[in-house]
Amino acid sequence: MTLTTGTSVVSLRGIRKEFGDHVAVRDVSLEVPAGEVVAIIGPSGSGKSTLLRCINLLERPEAGRIEVLGQAVEPQGGVSAAELAKLRRGVGMVFQSFNLFPHLTVLRNISLPQERVLGRSRKEADARSLQLLERVGLADKGASYPSRCSGGQQQRVAIARALALDPQVMLFDEPTSALDPELGLEVLAVMRELAADGMTMVVVTHEIQFAADVADRVVVMADGAIIEQGPPSVVLTAPTVERTKKFLRAVMDR
Amino acid sequence: MSHLHAVLLGVPWTLAVMLAALAIGAVLAVPLAAARRSRVAPLRWAARLAIDVLRGIPPIVWLFIIFFGLGDKVLRLGPFQAAVLGLGLISAGYLAEIYRGGLTAVHKGQWEAASALGMGRADAMTRVIGPQAFRVALPGATTYAIGLLKDSSVVSTIGVTDIMARASQDARSTSSGLTPFLLAALVYIVLSGPLAWLSRTMDAKLRARVAR
Amino acid sequence: MNDSLLSSWVEWTPALLDGLWTSLQLTGGSLAIGIPGGLLLALLMSGRSRVVKAVAIVLVEIGRGMPALVVLQLVYFGLPSAGLTFGPFLAATAALALTTAAYTSEILRAGLQAVPAGEVEAAAALGMSHRDSLRYVVIPQGVRVAIPALLGFSIQIFQATSLTFTIAVPELLGQAYSIGAATFRYLDVLVLAGLVYLAVVLPAGSITRLLERRMGRHL
Repeated sequence: MTLTTGTSVVSLRGIRKEFGDHVAVRDVSLEVPAGEVVAIIGPSGSGKSTLLRCINLLERPEAGRIEVLGQAVEPQGGVSAAELAKLRRGVGMVFQSFNLFPHLTVLRNISLPQERVLGRSRKEADARSLQLLERVGLADKGASYPSRCSGGQQQRVAIARALALDPQVMLFDEPTSALDPELGLEVLAVMRELAADGMTMVVVTHEIQFAADVADRVVVMADGAIIEQGPPSVVLTAPTVERTKKFLRAVMDR
Repeated sequence: MSHLHAVLLGVPWTLAVMLAALAIGAVLAVPLAAARRSRVAPLRWAARLAIDVLRGIPPIVWLFIIFFGLGDKVLRLGPFQAAVLGLGLISAGYLAEIYRGGLTAVHKGQWEAASALGMGRADAMTRVIGPQAFRVALPGATTYAIGLLKDSSVVSTIGVTDIMARASQDARSTSSGLTPFLLAALVYIVLSGPLAWLSRTMDAKLRARVAR
Repeated sequence: MNDSLLSSWVEWTPALLDGLWTSLQLTGGSLAIGIPGGLLLALLMSGRSRVVKAVAIVLVEIGRGMPALVVLQLVYFGLPSAGLTFGPFLAATAALALTTAAYTSEILRAGLQAVPAGEVEAAAALGMSHRDSLRYVVIPQGVRVAIPALLGFSIQIFQATSLTFTIAVPELLGQAYSIGAATFRYLDVLVLAGLVYLAVVLPAGSITRLLERRMGRHL
């Protein structure tokens, strides 16, 4: 299934997520059209990661409606395992802590999900994996175990692993926060290329520069709600909301 | 009901063997643990060997060595004495390692602080290190005690009329195999309940006292 | 140590080694059946259904609460009255396998829990089914973490095979006791049997500790 530019790949309406007494996300709606790169920024605890994790239902929202790639789910009702698998197949995700499988080689990390989820043969899967490893600049790392790779390399493998399932949209949950700045750059470079290739991306990040350069739209969250959004040239340079100004000042000072 | 009665007759013997063995073990383990940490190397090796041998040979084999082997000529012991001696020695081996774990867990700075304050080695041990080590060793020791309650069932093989032995007798004499053994299992489980509870409450109390 | 003792020991050794072989077979059989059983119980205990979880926990607690000797006697002397009759070796294997399952379930559960939640999440985000995630991500790692503790437990089960003497399995202790009964030299032969147990248990213990340290370095 290919989506033409303009249709929504991700559509969230009235999403509300609670953890006990704490409301992490309150009635947030977000549309992500095909080909768009959305950067979600905001102070820690603002609910941006939680919102991202609602998209592929790693978190089940208490209220709201989620539509991904034309497939609508009512998360409050039961979501069958088949529905969940179908939804997640089209959505790639990259985590802050990489979450590679440490007992598998880099190549197996990328091939195993293809075999299990898409039913590719081992040969097909390995061929695709190698192609992707080359794309993220790690063609020689296939036989290594994750523990032998730097953090930046691990994160690039994680990106390749997600891409191997041919997702229509990629979610990034603070992909560089666990990395030294230098290693973060190599990950950001891969993400830039991905964006240039037209991948639809939702990126939760603290990298304001990346958001300024790559994002089509910046979404600012605070206290579980979207407080401001728009093109980076507007939101990052001339924000209108006081809370955004304060947050940006704090980030710049660091 | 008569089955249960038969099995319950063994309870005093099971408890007596276990408690007596535990008492012997708890005392003998002290010099053993001390030797294990001694500055004199041969003493350390000897203690290590003793602990390994005590723990490495299965309890039933120890009991047979003491009861049938030694009892043959060297020292004549009744089943109960042999059982208590055998399990007591084995307990000493296990408890010595548990004590040692407790001692090792006490921070080295505590020894240094005690000696900096002018306390002798013995004083430091009994006033400073010991109490802290005891606190760390207690959960392991109670877990061992619960294990010993169950392991004590081997004493039935040398003729102590404990729960296990009573169940076997009852099974043979009434030729109803299943019930006596199931009841025996139940009694063991019920007996270990209070021990587990005791260990938890003692642990909680000590934890509250050594609050950190 | 006098000559007659040594020559007797040499004379008895083949019979004791036969017994040792039986003990090792019993150990192997119990572990081969018991550890998969323990894994199943561990999975049920960490499963999502509350009822299944409760049943598994009760089974494990009962299994761990019963002395191995009681389980052994129950299977060999008790089950025939319920219409299930086993030979000594089979009864011994079954009984020790039950004990193994109960104990190793706790060991394996701890291993499974040591697998980082992030990896399970990653598998889910990749669209892998719960089953695949268990099979390819959680179980291989969880079992690997559990290996030193499983080895330690295996040594205990090897020692516990001596209990099967009571149901006439001709294992190491059984062989020694027969020789003792025939020669009236209980002490001599039982000490030799004890040494044979040590010859297995002590090296196995060293290997376990070595493995523990090496794995500790990698995790």
